Amino acid sequence: MNRTLAVLVAVLVLVAPGTPLFAHHSFSSEYDGEKTFTITGVVAKVEWTNPHVRFYVDVKEPDGTMANWNLELASPSALARNGWNSRTLKVGDTVTVLGYSGKAVPTRGAARSVVVADGRSLFAGTAEDPDSQPR
Amino acid sequence: MRRASVPAEAGRDVSGPARAGHSVLCGAGILLIASLASMASPVLAQSQAPRQDPERGVFGPVGALGQEVRRSQALTSPAPRLPDGTIDLGDGIWVGGGPVNDLAQGLKKGEELPLLPSARQVMAERAKRPTDDPHLWCLPMGVPRSTPYPFRFVPNYTHRKPTHMFILHEGNIHSYRQVFMDGRKHPSEPDPTWFGHSIGSWEKDTLVIDTVGYNDKFWFDRRGTPHTEQLHTIERWTRVNMGTLVNAVTIDDPGAFSRPFTVTFNARLSPPTDDIIENICQENNQFGVAGGHANPFAGP
Repeated sequence: MNRTLAVLVAVLVLVAPGTPLFAHHSFSSEYDGEKTFTITGVVAKVEWTNPHVRFYVDVKEPDGTMANWNLELASPSALARNGWNSRTLKVGDTVTVLGYSGKAVPTRGAARSVVVADGRSLFAGTAEDPDSQPR
Repeated sequence: MRRASVPAEAGRDVSGPARAGHSVLCGAGILLIASLASMASPVLAQSQAPRQDPERGVFGPVGALGQEVRRSQALTSPAPRLPDGTIDLGDGIWVGGGPVNDLAQGLKKGEELPLLPSARQVMAERAKRPTDDPHLWCLPMGVPRSTPYPFRFVPNYTHRKPTHMFILHEGNIHSYRQVFMDGRKHPSEPDPTWFGHSIGSWEKDTLVIDTVGYNDKFWFDRRGTPHTEQLHTIERWTRVNMGTLVNAVTIDDPGAFSRPFTVTFNARLSPPTDDIIENICQENNQFGVAGGHANPFAGP
């Protein structure tokens, strides 16, 4: 699957009408499952931390100003069990992120998918409540 | 004395990160189909998702939630035993064995939680502020709630006898439970704590953990099912086969329920390649900021 298709897939999922596929209790208290975003920018910082991995992306706004987005992933352990490590995303990487917007802070988001400039499409393990049922 | 049986390794899923990466793409293919279908019907993507293998999730082996990881079929070979014949609970890490959304999910079909009116009132209040759930703020999840974090039984022995069973929990915070296996009794007036005072013993092949001395702070589930300091739990952990551990928990709390009741949850053995991973929840918990919720446990 090439990058274009990977992006297409992610976009299709995000725009699919109806209840978000992975909405749940604490997710819905933090993020708007009906309000998705797509941003492209440069990774400014990566925090391989608990309870969620976070990365920060500098995004050029239409008016030319820069905004720093705070994006949430799953926990380090959950990501590690899915093949990620602390070096998967690097400062300076250009990324396209698809995700759900924060309800109170629009530049905070739960990343749903991350596409890196070299075409790798990384399913982000949306910043779900770590309490989600495993079975 | 019975000989320890050899844990069956055959059939375990040992897929690793490399395979996980490949599976991202496979999972994306599944997504494409599901998403295209969703265009025809607003709920199709969700309602038809169960057509996939329920053990593998929407995305196949790579969990879209970052939680639903590589999952093989549960192993059904006999449970292994220690040299003295005791069931071996410590040869791997387990996931499951407790409630997440609703404690009542562990009841038998048709049963309901025997909540007292006062407990219903507490739940109604908690429903207004679900973000007050202590675990969201890096406080313990209590008993029997532990999922989806892996945990491990670690028996401790001296040259004389077994002394403790420790249960190491990866999450929700880096924590442990201490179960006394030396025959002692509960203290007459234990000080209330998150995990209480636990004593354990074996009844045939079942590890029985009896706990009192809980505080009243943790929520049994996301719904906010409450308890009081009168809570008394009796967990019965039975490894019914190699890959499945059944936890039948009797909950007795005359401060919250009109009678004792039992809930049952299954835990599952993780692949042998998996281990507990550090999870220091307090490190960088930004929960609440994106949604505009204040920490109810923060000081003045």
